[in-house]
Amino acid sequence: MSFLVLRELKKTYGDFVAVEALSLDVQRGEFISLLGPSGCGKTTTLQMVAGFVEPTGGAILLDGHDLVAMKPSRRGLGVVFQSYALFPHMTAAENVAFGLEMQKVGRAERDERVRNALELVGLGGFAERYPRRMSGGQQQRVALARALVIRPHVLLLDEPLSNLDAKLREEMQIELRQIQRTVGTTTILVTHDQSEAMALSDRIVVMNGGRVEQIAAPQEAYERPATPFVAGFLGKTNELSGTARVEGGETRVVIADGRWASRRPIDGAVIASVRPEKIAFADCAAGRLTGLVKTRIFQGNHWLYRIETLAGQVFVIRQNGGEPMPAENDKVGLTWRPEDMALRAADGRR
Amino acid sequence: MTRNGPLALLYHALFVVFMLAPIVIVCIVAFTPEGYLSLPTHGLSLRWFRTIAQYPEFIRAFWVSIWLGALSSAIALSLSVPAALAIARYRFKGRDALATLFMSPLMIPPVVLGIAFLRFFSLVGLGGTFVGLVLSHVVIVFPFALRLTLASAVGMDRAIEQAAVSLGASDWTVFRRVTLPLILPGLVSGWALAFIQSFDEVTMTVFVAAPGTETLPVRMFLYIQDNIDPLVTSVSASVIALTAIALVALDRLYGLERLLAGRGINEP
Repeated sequence: MSFLVLRELKKTYGDFVAVEALSLDVQRGEFISLLGPSGCGKTTTLQMVAGFVEPTGGAILLDGHDLVAMKPSRRGLGVVFQSYALFPHMTAAENVAFGLEMQKVGRAERDERVRNALELVGLGGFAERYPRRMSGGQQQRVALARALVIRPHVLLLDEPLSNLDAKLREEMQIELRQIQRTVGTTTILVTHDQSEAMALSDRIVVMNGGRVEQIAAPQEAYERPATPFVAGFLGKTNELSGTARVEGGETRVVIADGRWASRRPIDGAVIASVRPEKIAFADCAAGRLTGLVKTRIFQGNHWLYRIETLAGQVFVIRQNGGEPMPAENDKVGLTWRPEDMALRAADGRR
Repeated sequence: MTRNGPLALLYHALFVVFMLAPIVIVCIVAFTPEGYLSLPTHGLSLRWFRTIAQYPEFIRAFWVSIWLGALSSAIALSLSVPAALAIARYRFKGRDALATLFMSPLMIPPVVLGIAFLRFFSLVGLGGTFVGLVLSHVVIVFPFALRLTLASAVGMDRAIEQAAVSLGASDWTVFRRVTLPLILPGLVSGWALAFIQSFDEVTMTVFVAAPGTETLPVRMFLYIQDNIDPLVTSVSASVIALTAIALVALDRLYGLERLLAGRGINEP
């Protein structure tokens, strides 16, 4: 059995469904991200695990024990809040020591563990500082140390990096991942930032409107999005209308003047979803989707193209490898591997 | 910052004069050597300050006022903390009605309150007692205590308490170690404001106080009904001097701005 199990977890406020029958199995030591736009129910889910919100239905099991019946103060979970939520009237060391005091850990051991925790997050020299005299990033580290020092069963992170500027956020992402690997704590991160979720997690839970859209490893969710929402939320994608027909052992896909053979058995009107960086340029051979380069933007390490085709506008990203690239108003053929194309029925069936 | 024009400066100056003149004049008159209220023209005298010593009821009334203010403010404050936390955090039926009820002593004329208390206390056998006086003052200073407590409770990040809970703190521990220290500046300000209100109150207190439980303002009010000598001015000047000393001390110890604004210690 998995370490942390959310089973058919549900939260409604009157008629409004905040979280709808969410089921998730988390392995010991795993780093899971709940990813989605604001209002998708990710924070509500985290707060149900932490115990600050009572579920309307469903169960939460930690190592086989029912967590819902347990008081939030007895759950032994470490929580890091978006606002850091440090105790402003205590020094960094006192903040970190608070949880150990609650556990009645003896003075000597407490001091030792506080020192180690602050060192772990790189704040060895800041023990006696008050939060108001620290930068946002430093406060964030204190909050992390405070949550980790109690050796929590699960670490819950609620948008912990969203108040930091972009550069610091990137640094903290790397550090967070490193610390989590070192300590090995099972972690659930709530974020609306898809790159953050992909950078940090073992698996991503993409949520929308209170429902789970997909649970998968970052690369898999990106390469094979289960729903159009996931495809659109995790990076850019092209959505092209076409038709598919099963013929013999394979499926023939036709998109405007382009033709592909796919292994996915699907029939009728389809929508093909292709990532811009999976599309390559080729000559305008027969059976190839052709188009006219409308704009070409140089972005240093890559080119961004907008191509007008019979199937509509297609975005293409090509690495800047130094070789000559098509110019504006060139006629080009577009190719991609069938496996880089996610197919779904146009009427919404899967 | 833009500079004030001459007209604006004149306006501000007049305003300050208007505010301060009565106080200044009272303090000057207190030093008169004459036996009636007048500006001292033939030198200054401490005659009327020495006279205070011959009226022990003024001294006693002063201590009644101090104890009354301190006690009623402390009681009002201890009631306002749970009230403020409930109003600030929870949406429940009758919440608005409750908030209005708590604020209602501000809206009822003190005369009406005074008559009501006079009647009520004599019915329940508290007429003319110090206990009755304290209870009546708890009612009138409660809105002031609640206002400032509420302001600091509303401004508090709930996540801070949730963090304490997640670290294993019980409800009582969260209140004692986290909530209370964070709303403390609001409580101190609330207490100070309530104390000032209580010390100042005459209109209602005249009805409730009896000989022996008269507050200083009531004692002075009764005195000038029968006498027109400058004794009240010297008493006033003494109170003003004590207030000034207390304010300077508070400012040194705590910071006056922080006290009156009820600002949190988490703010710079």
